[in-house]
Amino acid sequence: MSNNRIVTSPSERVQALSDSFKDVLSLGQKYVDLLDQLAQTKDAKNLLSAANKLTKMDLANAFINFPPHYKAADYYLIFMDRLLKMHGDTAVNVAENELNHEFEATVAAIGGEAIFKFEVDSRGEAAFTEQSQHEPLFYLSLEDKLMQFNNRALVNYFIVYALKQHTDLELRDAVKPLIDFAKYLQKDLDFTIDLGILATANDRRFMLNKPELPLTVIDRLFVATADEDYMLMNLPRNNGAELLLDQGTKLDIAFDPDDYSQEWAFLVKDSDEQVSFFDVLLHYDLVREWYLANRSALAVRTDHMEIVDEESPATTEVAEDESSDEVSSAEPSEDPTPNEEE
Amino acid sequence: MASVETNSDSLDVTQVINQQIITKIKYLRRFNDAISNHRDREIYQLLDNQRYAKEIEHREQQPNDKGVMNLVDDLADQLSNYLSENLIKYLGKTYPFFYYEEYQTGHYRIYFGNWWNRRQFGELDVLNVRFSFDQTEYDKLRTAFELARDNKRYNSDRISKISSENDRLQDLIDHQREREERKEALQEQLKEISSRSGIWESSRNKESRQELVEQLQKLEDQEEEARNAAQTIKDNERVVLSLSKENTILSYEQKSIIDTFGSFEDFELANRNLYANYLASLNGSEGKQVDDDEQ
Repeated sequence: MSNNRIVTSPSERVQALSDSFKDVLSLGQKYVDLLDQLAQTKDAKNLLSAANKLTKMDLANAFINFPPHYKAADYYLIFMDRLLKMHGDTAVNVAENELNHEFEATVAAIGGEAIFKFEVDSRGEAAFTEQSQHEPLFYLSLEDKLMQFNNRALVNYFIVYALKQHTDLELRDAVKPLIDFAKYLQKDLDFTIDLGILATANDRRFMLNKPELPLTVIDRLFVATADEDYMLMNLPRNNGAELLLDQGTKLDIAFDPDDYSQEWAFLVKDSDEQVSFFDVLLHYDLVREWYLANRSALAVRTDHMEIVDEESPATTEVAEDESSDEVSSAEPSEDPTPNEEE
Repeated sequence: MASVETNSDSLDVTQVINQQIITKIKYLRRFNDAISNHRDREIYQLLDNQRYAKEIEHREQQPNDKGVMNLVDDLADQLSNYLSENLIKYLGKTYPFFYYEEYQTGHYRIYFGNWWNRRQFGELDVLNVRFSFDQTEYDKLRTAFELARDNKRYNSDRISKISSENDRLQDLIDHQREREERKEALQEQLKEISSRSGIWESSRNKESRQELVEQLQKLEDQEEEARNAAQTIKDNERVVLSLSKENTILSYEQKSIIDTFGSFEDFELANRNLYANYLASLNGSEGKQVDDDEQ
């Protein structure tokens, strides 16, 4: 029948209120337990589990106003900070901003002006973002255990912007803890990681955004080498060009001759597999100037991992988890009464 | 019927023939033996004894035996292929910047370098141990070396001419507004002057009217040029790119020659002495690979 009947009895009304408080209190207890876990655990898996639950926890409640608390973006950053510290890595400094009580990160190698925060979008995708240029340097999903660098943002922020104020070595040091973070995620927590143009493996191909490359673009690099010590060679199977750099490092702009599609890609080869395409852009003016001048043709693709590609399955997954999870125990407080009364 | 008059010489003729055949057989046997044992140096001697005597043994005036010289003429391609093996190995070390392509048996194209945009540079004459460079390409390289002394590049002048032409065109595009304003002002003046014209128009008035018309025409011409300027600039940039490419190719070639020979003159000297130097490198190692006696 109607809801009116439920609230007629005073004892029933008091009981309903009390039940709601119990739910909120248990939620509160859970919340502080997770905070303790996030702050204290020495185990990476527990850390991940606490951070993941906290980022999804909704403390909004009609009955109790929780004291000031942190947002999902803060938990991502605290998670990052703690994982790095577990490995004795101190290159990233995370601190609370006293004005807005948000956590912020700075990176030792490039000083305090560059401030990084996670930004969480409506789909729950967190992006480690530098605040003045708003470049999302990498995406992190604790739920799906994914971490992926954004090639375009890496170039925009470090190669185009930050290089005006910092040396290539400083920037290399600034990127290093981010790469280490990715490696800890992979090693400790089985994350799937994509280092993008920071990857150093010799066989890693960085596909161009546009599959067709006019050869005049390569001609321009060739012409630019006229006043340099670096030479641009032909690849043996006429499938592109190879720039000979220092210490045997080679930058190929090539397509796979055995692949019918003949899509162009960059490859960086060096004897120790220590040099990434990002490093080449950072260190070699010749390559950087050429790349930026011809960026519309040469831009490297950012293959966005499952988080976005499979947009709908990913969101349903999240929804499923929420309903089965204890975190959502606050919700039943609003609708159980009619059910019980029926 | 017709009978050949015989004389006492007939016996001598037989002798001459036999003698000649024996010489030829001896030559071919020696040739055959040299081929079987890969004695390349001896093969070169058999192919051109006169040159061998002069350049290797320093004995002048040793004529080639015409009776045996052309016996292997129809094997030129195969011999070239056979002899190229050691020669190209040797050249790989002495001229590390040349690359060869056997486009048909015994015929080799030379490529200068293996860099982006490398060019074909002529052919390798294996039997005569010499390069036959493409004259046009070779002259470009020689000129590039000469210009380098004045810190200039082969196409520098043309590039700077086209570049300043592009600057001028860009200037035309950039000043479109000023031009329009000027045109309006001129038209206004012309209108005013024209109102004072007539049968009794003063010659001074007529003159300045003429002048205004000319100025207007000049502006029109500039306008027309500006309309096509963007395309012309693009075309010019393409030309500049290809000229710069040629400059770069030549600078790679110059670098390679300097790295290996020190100077263009030393490169040319080495080319002239290639036969002697190559055969000397085969000295005492007959039958062996070039690898063994190099360095």
